[in-house]
Amino acid sequence: MKSTSELTDFYYKTLYPDLKRLEEERKRVKSKLTTAFVMIALFSVIIMAALANWADTFHEGLLFVGFVAVAIGTFIYKNTVRDYQTDFKHKIIGPLIAAIDAHLSYRADGMVTQMRFERAGLFRRSIDRYSGNDHVIGQIDGVALEFSDLHAEYQTRDSKGNTHWHTIFQGLFIVAEFNKHFHGTTYVLPDSAEKSFGTLIGQWLQSTTGSHGELIKMDDPEFEKHFVVYASDQIEARYILSPSMMQRLSTIRARSKAELYISFVSEQIYLGISTNRDLFEPSVFKSLLRLEQATEYISYLRLAIGIVEELKLNQKLWSKQ
Amino acid sequence: MTALIIVGVLVLILVLMYNSLVGKKNQVENIFAGIDTQLKKRYDLIPNLVSSVQQYMQHERGILEKVTELRAQAMNPRLSDEKKMALDHEISGMLGSIMVAVENYPELKANENVMHLQQTLHEVEEQIAAARRAYNQSVTDYNNAIEMIPTNFMAQWMRYTRKPVFEISETERKGVDVKALFER
Repeated sequence: MKSTSELTDFYYKTLYPDLKRLEEERKRVKSKLTTAFVMIALFSVIIMAALANWADTFHEGLLFVGFVAVAIGTFIYKNTVRDYQTDFKHKIIGPLIAAIDAHLSYRADGMVTQMRFERAGLFRRSIDRYSGNDHVIGQIDGVALEFSDLHAEYQTRDSKGNTHWHTIFQGLFIVAEFNKHFHGTTYVLPDSAEKSFGTLIGQWLQSTTGSHGELIKMDDPEFEKHFVVYASDQIEARYILSPSMMQRLSTIRARSKAELYISFVSEQIYLGISTNRDLFEPSVFKSLLRLEQATEYISYLRLAIGIVEELKLNQKLWSKQ
Repeated sequence: MTALIIVGVLVLILVLMYNSLVGKKNQVENIFAGIDTQLKKRYDLIPNLVSSVQQYMQHERGILEKVTELRAQAMNPRLSDEKKMALDHEISGMLGSIMVAVENYPELKANENVMHLQQTLHEVEEQIAAARRAYNQSVTDYNNAIEMIPTNFMAQWMRYTRKPVFEISETERKGVDVKALFER
């Protein structure tokens, strides 16, 4: 796979004509949006001032005006940004993926299906709203791989009847074929209990709250510090999580700077990187030419596509070849 | 009344301690049975391996005979756990040296049957390594319970004694990397 610096070169050299054009487009979009937002703000203030005369409904009125302003603002934002966004993904993200590996196919509006996400079994809450984008699918070195941005949410209603949306998972979700045979399920989750309550109480909490199966203590202290493992079979969990696999997962965790949710179900590895935001989107209020921006696109793409190499998923067992 | 409650709670604690100790002991036995299954898989492969390499490996005749003999010993169903563990350790080492020796025979390296055997052995080896690690963890849990207050008193009364763990050397932790052997 190409190195980060090679890809950064590709971003600034090969993609430069498109980047420059998109940067111009971005400035236009930005000024349009700024004008629109100022107008909305002005109108809101005027209407609120007018409402001040009806003192008894003033608070409800304020809330209503605020709500409408936000709704109109979002609508305008989405509409203004849409073409720019599509263009960006088509001209920048697509070629960037092709430069990393030409065998992958990319669909900006596709996503990992909800069925696959649920099959991973990482999150037990039922999903009320499911969305995603930037779907990449293909084979790397003979290993089937797909990933996309995902956002899964659930809904609650408070006593006043207002609905609230809560995130179950938001981030990059990767599915790849695993290189070993196994029959049960193994889950590797962020270790929140041990971190906040210490080893003794934390482990006790982990063993009592597991809905994912039996708590498995692993023999890698670094891994054990960041993750908690639940599995249906003690031996199988260790067969999957070999000492080198644990090290590699710790490395990925450190590199992604986000919590990892990993499961091994029906010969697949599912890996959720909980970034809590939508990746691979063009910036609107900051320049596209910033190095930070380029590095972010490149590093997440390399991380997702590099999973096959990093976890050595291409070293298949004899019986899997 | 209060005395009754205190006695009740005490009995409950004792029952819980007793059950947790029995649970830990059974867990160790359970996982040892898991290792046993994997070891048997490996023992089944040995005669096959020996018969396919022996006509070429004249210099290693000694190792081949020894490994066959050890296998016969290990298949004895009345073996104690400690003895089994010791035999397994010895057999692992010997299989490792056979694998390395195969490198000196181009005919063997090219032989599909031998290659297949090596790969299968490698898979079993990884499963054995996983089972050993599981066993060691369950033994550690059991040994901790036996030595820590308050379960140690109960364990003493139940005549539970410490169990040994498998020694896992650094090379073994990595497993026999057959692929790397071929690529050398």
